[in-house]
Amino acid sequence: MTKLLGALIAFALILVLWFVLSAHLHPWVPSPVATVEAAWKVLGTPELYRDLVATAERLVTAFVASTLIGTVIGIAVGLDKRVEAFFQPLLALMLAVPDPVYIIFAILGLGTGEVTGIVALSLVVTPFVANIVRSSVQARDTTLDEMAKVYRISRWRTFTSTLLPQLVPALITAGRFSFALSWKVVILVEALAQPTGIGARVYHDFSMFRMAPAFAVAIMFCVVMQIVERLVLQQLEQRALRWRS
Amino acid sequence: MSDIVIRVDDLSVSYGNVPAISNLAFNVRRGEIVCVVGPSGCGKSTMLNVLSGLLPPTHGSVSVNDQVLYRSGQPLPRLGYVFQTHRLLPWRTVRQNLELVLAAAGIPKAEWDGRIRSLLDVLQISRFIDSWPMRLSGGQRLRASIARALVIEPSYILMDEPFSTLDEVTARTMRHELSSIVARTRSTVIFVTHSIREAVFLADRLIILTRSPARVFEEKVVDIERPRLYEDSRIGQIEAEVVERVLDAWGLDDRKRAEAA
Repeated sequence: MTKLLGALIAFALILVLWFVLSAHLHPWVPSPVATVEAAWKVLGTPELYRDLVATAERLVTAFVASTLIGTVIGIAVGLDKRVEAFFQPLLALMLAVPDPVYIIFAILGLGTGEVTGIVALSLVVTPFVANIVRSSVQARDTTLDEMAKVYRISRWRTFTSTLLPQLVPALITAGRFSFALSWKVVILVEALAQPTGIGARVYHDFSMFRMAPAFAVAIMFCVVMQIVERLVLQQLEQRALRWRS
Repeated sequence: MSDIVIRVDDLSVSYGNVPAISNLAFNVRRGEIVCVVGPSGCGKSTMLNVLSGLLPPTHGSVSVNDQVLYRSGQPLPRLGYVFQTHRLLPWRTVRQNLELVLAAAGIPKAEWDGRIRSLLDVLQISRFIDSWPMRLSGGQRLRASIARALVIEPSYILMDEPFSTLDEVTARTMRHELSSIVARTRSTVIFVTHSIREAVFLADRLIILTRSPARVFEEKVVDIERPRLYEDSRIGQIEAEVVERVLDAWGLDDRKRAEAA
C-alpha cells in the first residue's frame, strides 16, 4: 500500500513538473496532452512496429552476445590468476572509455551497417557483465569446491552443479544491468548511425521539430522496456532463486 | 584383503618450512570408529586433507585397502565426508544432493532411489526427501549430510567435528544415532573432535595427537560395550584420565605453568 502510494505521488509530481516545463519551454517540451495525442496517432502507423522490431532485434542480439561473452570472460578471469592478469587491465580500460567513443569508433571502422550497432553495444556492455561475474566467481563458497573434490565429482559436473548455480544471482544482476544499458545504448546507436529503429525515429522527429511524436515514441519505448524487464527478467530471477524462499 | 582399511605410515606434511604433521602413524580397521583428538591448530585439518586425497604428503604414505594414495594413475578410493558445516548444495533438494554423489561414485541409476529412501528412513528425514536444504533445521541438514556420506557405501568416512555447531541436546541425539547407524552399516569412521567426552562416547579407539606438528601422543582402546549412554560414569572416568594426561602434553597445565613462573 505504502509502495503504491509512493509511486502515485512520484508519478503525480512528474506530471506536474512536465506541465510546468511544457508551459515554459514550448515548443521544445510538448505538453502531456499533446504527447498522448501524438502517441495515439503513432500507435496506428505500421512504421512504429517496424522500427520496434528492428530495435528489438538489435537489442536481443547484442544483449545475448555481450551477456554470453561477458559471462565466459568473467568466469575465466575469476577462476584463473593468469587469465585475470591478462584481462584485468583490459577490462579496467574498457570500463573507463565513455560509451559514445565506442559508437563513434564502430561507425568509423564498420560504417553505418547493421553490424555497427551490435558491435558498439557489445563493446559497451561486455566489460560490465564480465566484471560482475568475475566478482561473483571470486566470492564463491570454496568449501563447496572442496566438497566436490572429496566426493570425486567431475570438473564439468562441479562447474554445472556447484559453480554456475552460485553465479545465478550475479548473472541475473548482470543480465538486468546489461539489458538496461543495452536498450539505452541501442537507441543512441540508432540515432547516430542507423536508418531504422526507435532511436532513428526519435532522432528524425526531433530533427523535424516534431517534439510531441518524438516524446511519445521515446516514452512508449521506455514503458515497453520496463514491462519486458519486469515480466521476463524478474520472473526468471524468482524462478532461478526459488530455493532461497 | 586385510582387516586394515587405512594405514598411515610415517606421515609428514609441511607448509614451506613449517611442519604441520610429523611422523604420524596409525591404522584403522574395518568397521572401527577411531576418534582423533588434539589441541587447536595441531594439524588435524591437514591430516584430514591428506586422508581425503586433497593434499599429498611431504613424506610417508597413506594407504586405503592396501592401495597407496597419491600414486599417479591410481583412482582415489570412494570416500564419505561429513564436514563441520553441512556443505549441501542449497539449490538442490536433499534427493538431488544425494544423487550428485551417487552419480560421481558410478553407482547404477537403478539403485539410487532404493538407497536414498532406505538411508533417509534410517536417519528419520524421509519426509524431507524433496525439500531444499535451507528449509531444514541444523540437525536435519546434518542428517542429510550423513546420508550423503553413507549412500555411496564408501571405503571409509571422515567426520570433521560435525556436531560442533549443534545445540547440546540435538548433538547428544545425533551422537546416539550415529553410533547405531555406523554399527548397523559396519562403516569405517575417522571422527575428529575437540570434545574428549564425545570422542570417548563414540570411539572404539582414541588417537590423541600432540601439539603441532602432530604426532600420535597416545592410542587408547575404549572398552565399553554398546549401546553406550552419554552419562555413563565410565565415559566420564576415561574422559578425566585422558584430560589429566594431555594437560601437560598440550601445554595447558596451569599448575606447571604457575610453578615455572
